[in-house]
Parts: sequence; structure tokens; C-alpha cells
Amino acid sequence: MFEDVPLIDTHAHVMYSDPDADDSRQRGLDAAYVEAADVLGIDILVVSCPMVRKPTTPEIFRHANSLVIDAMQKWPGRIWLTTYINPGWTREAIAEIQRTAELEDMVAIKLLWDYNCSDPVCFPVIEKAIELDKIIIIHQAHHTNMLFNRRHFDVDAADVVAVANRYPEAKIIADHIGGGGDWEWTIKTLAEAPNVLQEISGSNFDENIVDMQLQYLGADRMVFACDCSMSSSMGKFRALQAGTEDKKKIAGGNFLRLCGRL
Amino acid sequence: MIVDCNAYIGHYAFRRLHYNTGDGILQLMDRAGIDRACVSSAGAIMYRNSQAGNEELLEEIEPHRDRLIPFAVLNPTYAAWERDITWCKSVLGAKGLRLYPSYHMYKLSDFCCSEMIEAATELGMMISIPVRAEDSRQRHWLVQAPDVPLNDIAALVAGHPNARFIVLEGLGFRGSDLVRKADELPHNYWIEMSRPDPLFDKELQFVKDALGAERLVFGTGICFKYPEPALLRMKVLQATEDEKADIYAGNMLRLLGE
Repeated sequence: MFEDVPLIDTHAHVMYSDPDADDSRQRGLDAAYVEAADVLGIDILVVSCPMVRKPTTPEIFRHANSLVIDAMQKWPGRIWLTTYINPGWTREAIAEIQRTAELEDMVAIKLLWDYNCSDPVCFPVIEKAIELDKIIIIHQAHHTNMLFNRRHFDVDAADVVAVANRYPEAKIIADHIGGGGDWEWTIKTLAEAPNVLQEISGSNFDENIVDMQLQYLGADRMVFACDCSMSSSMGKFRALQAGTEDKKKIAGGNFLRLCGRL
Repeated sequence: MIVDCNAYIGHYAFRRLHYNTGDGILQLMDRAGIDRACVSSAGAIMYRNSQAGNEELLEEIEPHRDRLIPFAVLNPTYAAWERDITWCKSVLGAKGLRLYPSYHMYKLSDFCCSEMIEAATELGMMISIPVRAEDSRQRHWLVQAPDVPLNDIAALVAGHPNARFIVLEGLGFRGSDLVRKADELPHNYWIEMSRPDPLFDKELQFVKDALGAERLVFGTGICFKYPEPALLRMKVLQATEDEKADIYAGNMLRLLGE
């Protein structure tokens, strides 16, 4: 899309399968993801594997990260790692962050909904990410439909802001503005935390969703992502009424800056 | 040519819409390269008296009838819908209805709905059913309006073989009777394509391959949604140029009798 800046999907996934299970369908979906990225001109996929059986034990999150590492070997240079851990297993989670951080292309850690990110149980892994200068990517959504999925409802932008205020030196990305929920509420809440960026992924492409993000957060605090919603996310990136320089920042420039690779 | 079968103007009760006037939606259509659009009133979704929304729609589209094709929103449980549907056909020039059973508190299987579908079909109007007005995960705290089940629509189309239906804003077709039992159902329904993705899970590709390109119609959901994702889906969909031309416009123009 841009000659001097790669297009980076900062929220991509490989599919989980148990170690002894037939994983052909999951690996087929992984290939379909890369194929979709090829079609859309996405250069780099920042991949995690957090959609696993809950509660997530250390064995499970270590295996999940190994699946991403396998994909890194299958598509070399194309895939960067977001290490997923369950912060409830403090020692094991920190050890896993340390283990995976030895990989050159491990760039972030992922906090899903195993615990609310503002829960003190998460602080040691957040501090480890800060120590290693890694990005912290936090699932969030402000669902107004309590019937939809209680777990998703448990973490929203206010929790992300609480973490950001406690750790102003942290590099934080809040997940998917289009991942469901009241996106106007989310954007207005995140605007108060200058060390939080937000990515644009998700199936929701309501008119104005990314333009309001731009208005409140600014181009320096937005990053491109798909989270499996491929043409929805690329479509709203194309729809965004921003100049070329701002789009380059969102496409990849901001993420490279966070990684120290710009 | 591009004909958008899924467009709206007016005010929505729970979120500010931009480009939501007759002039405004033309701006958005021009940006996206859309030639014509089937529009209905966003206000009529929540008005108790939906007909007031249809009257507002008339004011907005009147100068732009060459590009904006009116669809009417009516509630079969509300007073005088029989009179209103006649006005919608003769004065508004509505080519079809849009039904909101979840917002208007009836079921597609209710007798009143059946009566209104038969009346619309008598008048030569098609029936479009938005599966949702917006993502339920962001619903207003006062509203409980679940998505319309695709299998309820499948039962409806089976019960009205002479009517013509367009399913708007649908997703999850793979497991639905609209696809699984397509051979048993009359070929009287078309699928609007703004939500299923042709990439990764490839649902749009699956629907196109299962039903045929002649059963898909192009739609965006403007001005509730950005038009660009639907355009991108069409670009990457694996189909011949003739098939794409049918989806973009040909199928809808035939439904409109043009």
C-alpha cells in the first residue's frame, strides 16, 4: 500500500488446537489468514493465540505460543509474536514472557479476559513487559448488551485507562474499536490516556467509527489491525478520511515506533 | 453500474448519522461510486407511527428520484397500515417494504405480517428484511431487539412463494436453512452481501457458490455503515465479470422491473 511503510495487521491470530488433536482445520484457517493478507497487501501479521480453553493453564498458553512460533517458521519474516499468558500464573507467565522474548520478532504480550487488566494480579506481567520494552495489547470492549457475552463485558476502556494511569511508561494498545460494544464511549474514554493507542479491527464498520477515533485520539494513537475481520477492517481503513502521512502512521509507522524499529 | 439495495436516510434514535439527508447520501454515494440506492427512513425504525418516517423520506428523495429509490417501513401491528401501504405505493413510489419485527414487536410468523406481505405483493412491492438495524453488542440500554433469525426468514419465504424477499445485513448463512435447504425453498429470495466476508472464513464466497451469483445483490448499509468494506468485498470476491455485474446492479434492476 505504501512503499516506505509496511502494512501491519497488529491483531492477527493462529487457531488453537490441543497438542494431540487433529489440527488440520485450524492450520487450514491459518493458511487462509495469510492468503487473505496476501490479497489485501498486508505485509506483517502480529499474531497471538489466546482463544484457548479456560481457565488457561501454563501448559496451554505455552502450547498456544508454540503454535505461533511454528507459524513464524512456516512464514519467515511475515509473522511477529504477541505472547499470550494467563497472568494468574504469575511465575509461569513471567517465565513464558522471558522465554519468548528471546525471539527477535516477539514484540508484545497479550492480556485477554482471564483477569481484568486493572486487577493487581496483572501488574507483575505488565511490569515485565515494561522491563523488556514490549508492547502490552489489551482486549477490551464496552458491551451494552449484557446478554451477549459476560466475559467480554468484563474489560473495557476504563480498565485500560486505569492501567495506563498506573503505568504511564507502558506502551499499550487497546484492542478492536470495531469488536463490538459502544465505540463512541470507548473512544471518549481512551482519549484521556495519552500512552494508549487503539487498533481499528473488528467486524463493526459503522460510518464514522474510525473518523471519530482520528478526531479524539489523533493519527499518532491509531494502528491498523484486522482480528480476522479482513475486508471489514481494510475497508474502514480505506474509508478513513485522513491524509497520506497520517495513514502511513496508522498502517505501520506507529507500531514500528512502539517496537523501536522505525 | 452500482445499485445499493441497502441504504438509509433520516435520524436514528441512538446514534448520530452523518450523510443522512437526500443530499448527504448522494455525497457518500459519489465517494463510493454508487449510482443508485434503495433508501428507507432510519427514523421509522423507532417511530411508533412508522408512516411519519415514510413521509419524511418523501421530502428527502423528491429532488433525487433519478438516484434514490424509496422503500417504505411499515409496522403490521400499527393502526391503518393498509391505508399507509397504498400511500407508500402511489405517492412515495415505494418499490418495496422494510420489515423490523424485533423493533416493532411481532414475529415473521404472525398473521398480521403475512397479511402485509400479501398486500405488498399484490401491489408489486418486494419485501426486504434487515436482520438488524445495528450491532446488538452496542444496543441502547433501553432496547432489546434481537437479530432476526435467518431460519425464521427461511420459513417466511417458504410460506409466500409469490412474494420476493431481500435479506439485508445477514450473517451466518452457512448453517441457515436459507442455504442448507435452498433446494427445497422457492427461489424468491436474494441475499445482500455487506456483512459476510469473502476472505478468511470465506462466507460470502460460500454463499455465492451455493446459491449462485444471480441470488446476491450489492448493498452497503450507508449511512449507518461505511460503504468501502462492501466495495472491497466485491473486489476480492472470486466471480466472473458478468457475475459481478449482476451482483452490483443487474439482479437488483431486474427485481425493480427495469
